[in-house]
Amino acid sequence: MELTDKIKNVLNVQTIKLELIKTAFGKPDVYLANIDPRVLMFWYLTVSILPWFTFNNTILLFIIAYTAVLAVVSRVSPLILTLLGIGIVTELFTIVIVSLVFGGGTFEAILPLLTFSMKLFIMSIASVSVFASMSPERLSDGLLSLKVPAQFSFAVSYGYRMLPILLDEYHQIFQSFRLRGKTPENHGFLKWRIVYYYILVVIKSFYPLMLNIAKRTRLTVEALEVRGFSYSLHNPEAKRVKLSYLKVRTKDYLFILTQLGILLIIWWFGNTFPS
Amino acid sequence: MSNKLPNRDAYTESQKMMIFILAMSLYGLASLFTELLPEFQLGPIDISISYLAFIPLILVILFHPLYAAIGASVGDIIFGKLLLGDFSGIGEVEGFIEFSLAMYVAGLLVRDPTNKRQIGAAAIIGVGIDQMLSSIVDIGKVWLGVEELEAVAGLPESILAIEAFSFVNEMVISGVLFGLIPTLYLLPKLYGKIEPLMGMKPRNPNIKASMTEYISVRFLIVAIFLAFVGLVAEYMAEMDINFAVWEPDFLDQFGDGFIWLPISAAAIIVILIITITVKMGRKKVEKDKWSA
Repeated sequence: MELTDKIKNVLNVQTIKLELIKTAFGKPDVYLANIDPRVLMFWYLTVSILPWFTFNNTILLFIIAYTAVLAVVSRVSPLILTLLGIGIVTELFTIVIVSLVFGGGTFEAILPLLTFSMKLFIMSIASVSVFASMSPERLSDGLLSLKVPAQFSFAVSYGYRMLPILLDEYHQIFQSFRLRGKTPENHGFLKWRIVYYYILVVIKSFYPLMLNIAKRTRLTVEALEVRGFSYSLHNPEAKRVKLSYLKVRTKDYLFILTQLGILLIIWWFGNTFPS
Repeated sequence: MSNKLPNRDAYTESQKMMIFILAMSLYGLASLFTELLPEFQLGPIDISISYLAFIPLILVILFHPLYAAIGASVGDIIFGKLLLGDFSGIGEVEGFIEFSLAMYVAGLLVRDPTNKRQIGAAAIIGVGIDQMLSSIVDIGKVWLGVEELEAVAGLPESILAIEAFSFVNEMVISGVLFGLIPTLYLLPKLYGKIEPLMGMKPRNPNIKASMTEYISVRFLIVAIFLAFVGLVAEYMAEMDINFAVWEPDFLDQFGDGFIWLPISAAAIIVILIITITVKMGRKKVEKDKWSA
């Protein structure tokens, strides 16, 4: 079965680590990656909020096309695009079923629901194209400069260092539970006994992990405090030095102008040919 | 400073940081798994493990509820979304607020970590608040996004049906199977064992909470519930569904003023949220003073 193979691949520790490395190094050569993160966030907010003020399908369709082009330009990973695609198909399926069941056999409800789905779709594709091309480090620095608490950007860098270690540790505990335990011989209806056994092991493995992480957390925080961590977290001077590389340059202004122009054209076009 | 003996509630700055990091790493790891697990989706019906609620529940019960709740939400966003390249902007903010609020309330509800009834109630209420808030947001989105909602036959009912189904589904899977049962199983094992590892004293079950605090928590829950009911009621009113049997009496009794119920419930929510944020802000100012 191809599907089970895929699931096995996805649930592999190696795959997760590779995925992490991929996002960590980002895509520095992509157009959107060189734009200032604050400008990109502002653009994302505009594009995802604007559609909620209109019911004009022409405008919505054009915004979808426009964000889709941007997604292609920023080279969103095929995996995420496939997931989005599956989402759309199930969404359409849902719409048909729902309107058949509740609309009394007529398809009257389909069009308004389609409009609604388009709005949701614009939000998700805009977020994918913006945040996929931005490295998490840049994103957290951008948020920091927008006065998001410094704990958040600390958590991002902490996550990078610790997540692979935590994953390894959990994996080890999980495997040792499996080694000492015994999978049920009788699989039961739809293999429910196996599923139940695995769920039990997943939950039980968290018990030693919680104690281990508690110990490690204490060590980490003590080491951080020795180096004056919470002082630098709240010190405006330290923050200024850290964020000094974020500057709005000419190409960022150009980006704002072009995108504004495109949105205006879409708006004009939608008003001329409404549907 | 020296003449004050440390009491249970007095966590030092670095201990708060420890709680934050602990909750973040643990729940982040858990949400990484749930993010990668396959779901079974059949049209509108979606059966999946959306989160392993027992981890944040245990942490908010054992430690400072606010820091544990915020830590868990941040961990979910960073480990489960951002580091996997699946960050979705506004949606994350929504989830962050819902989940932190729900877990914070659940943590405040438990006074005695050895009392099974309190733990069970907190687990169910915590997940319930989260799911309720997310249903409210979902219904609100449809309301905002679909033009002339009541003109489309069957649409409002179908949205309500989908939301109700997903609410029940989430309560059974995330609330009971992955919330209540593992919490009841793991919490007694961890109580008194995990705190010393982080240099803290376990919570003393004999300390009685001040009544005012408890009332405010209960009030918060009631307010959220009322807002939810109010919103659904408004929504039903909008789409002209008549509960023919009891409608006239009800309206006569309360008159047109009845429509103020949902509005006032919403106002209560807003005021509560503002109070909480102001309180948190004050705490933060104190923290800044200490650390700077």
